[in-house]
Amino acid sequence: MYRFATYVWRDTIRWKRAPLNVLSTLVMPATWLIFMGLVMPVKYDNYLDFVTPGILVLTMLTSSLGAGSSIMFDKTLGYLNKFLALPSPRESILIGKIVFITIRGLLQSTVILIISILIGATIYPISTYIGMYLLLTLFGISISALGTTVALYLDNHDSYAAFQAFVSMPLYFASTALISLDEMPTALRYIAEFNPLTYAIDGLRDIAKGIIPTFSICFLIILAILIMIICSWKFRSITIG
Amino acid sequence: MTDIFTSKLSKSYEDVLAVDSLDLRINGEIYGLLGPNGSGKTTTVSMLTTLLSPSSGSAQICGHDVTTEPKAVRKCISYVPQYMAVDIRLTGRENIDFYAKLYGIRDKTERKRRVNYALDIMDLNERADDLTKTYSGGMQRRLELAQALTHQPKVLFLDEPTVGLDVIARKMIWEHISNLKKSGITIFVTTHQMEEAERYCDRVGILKKGVVIKEGTPSYLKSALKSIITIKSDGKMPNILPDNVDFIGNENGSVVYASDNGADILPSLIKKYDEAGIHVYSSMVRDPTLEDIYLMSVGTEAADTEQFNRAQIRRIIMKG
Repeated sequence: MYRFATYVWRDTIRWKRAPLNVLSTLVMPATWLIFMGLVMPVKYDNYLDFVTPGILVLTMLTSSLGAGSSIMFDKTLGYLNKFLALPSPRESILIGKIVFITIRGLLQSTVILIISILIGATIYPISTYIGMYLLLTLFGISISALGTTVALYLDNHDSYAAFQAFVSMPLYFASTALISLDEMPTALRYIAEFNPLTYAIDGLRDIAKGIIPTFSICFLIILAILIMIICSWKFRSITIG
Repeated sequence: MTDIFTSKLSKSYEDVLAVDSLDLRINGEIYGLLGPNGSGKTTTVSMLTTLLSPSSGSAQICGHDVTTEPKAVRKCISYVPQYMAVDIRLTGRENIDFYAKLYGIRDKTERKRRVNYALDIMDLNERADDLTKTYSGGMQRRLELAQALTHQPKVLFLDEPTVGLDVIARKMIWEHISNLKKSGITIFVTTHQMEEAERYCDRVGILKKGVVIKEGTPSYLKSALKSIITIKSDGKMPNILPDNVDFIGNENGSVVYASDNGADILPSLIKKYDEAGIHVYSSMVRDPTLEDIYLMSVGTEAADTEQFNRAQIRRIIMKG
């Protein structure tokens, strides 16, 4: 299965050699953080500490959904067919894509964490950051596998872009990213309670407080496993049919 | 052992039979599969390269069954699809190295040797370290062939290898393909380019609506026709033709006929034009080409299959 690393290598070089892509993936989340953290009216002791987990998860969400458009490109431009005719295990294409996208998301998260500290967020002990990265990795794997699965079902970029827009914003605003569950209108709270983003964001906040968010971790692990199973099943069915 | 062996190989999409009972025996040669859009060429290649599973029948590549041993099949083949897919932000060398890694060549020295060999064979050495986006179409195609060669395949599948290339680039690609055959690789190619198929393929099969209706060496197929008559007139053709004259099609504004003995029959054909009151500008008798055979075999109705083709391509893309 080491060949998934070859696919990661390919995607990394392609990404690195498009400076505009690198710039936009790194600057976008920073802009979000600065606007949300500094411009919003402050009701909390440190709103920056409250909102940073939300921005981290939002970044991971948009970044991971990019896995779908990446596989869509490979599919429509004929790369995927070439890869499928190779003797290397077909699943390594899928794993390579998910690993690359998750690593890229973690890189973006690092930029956000650094900037948040620079503009006044609390500095935590190193173990807290390790916990945060673990949680973000789980979340990244789930969402990039979800994006990939959806892209395998759809047949063009337009439909995938529509899916992306349709999913990311509502999920984000119906989560605890900007406001805590207790302060939400009741209707919104019902949605937020079933939203995976809520689990990721609240999990990050618990980690920051020094609590191990067992429930969030279990929820995200189960979600990641479930989506990965569906994703590889779908991948297998389209490549053998 | 036959490199490519199929028996009653068929593929149907819902109610359309895209490939119908294909029997192929291909070994150590360049085999050209010709046919109009939607005749089932790409479906055939997809089945032989394990990208699609057959609806019925069987296919073996290098003795391995495509359905039960797809991995063993993929180990002995290389596939270059119709639409060029090289990573333009990678250099030529990186593009080949990428495939060498995917083919499982882990040893660095061995991989380097194979990559250099592939670059060498495809005359890409000088530009090996330039980004592929600076390559011409012909060079990108050669790079794809180089990628396909790194694991020393026994069988090479090429889907429309010269599509979109200029005359010189086409000639170069075909010369490389011919050299590959000499080195012992069996080559299965689909093409629309009749003159290229005639010149470079050892054998061709003409596919129409999923059925191979003619198969053989280009010269054998041509021997079925004695001569070709082309007549340029003011656009119409007479309703009644002399016996032993068959209408084949249109070519550059001329009407093309086939006949057993063109030189003898030409005067009576021109007479029919005169009787119909059609003015003949020029006439010519020549030896048949593969294109004449092709046109005669698939007929002019070939253009009707456009819609089916589009749906088929869409399905293939959707299926990845």
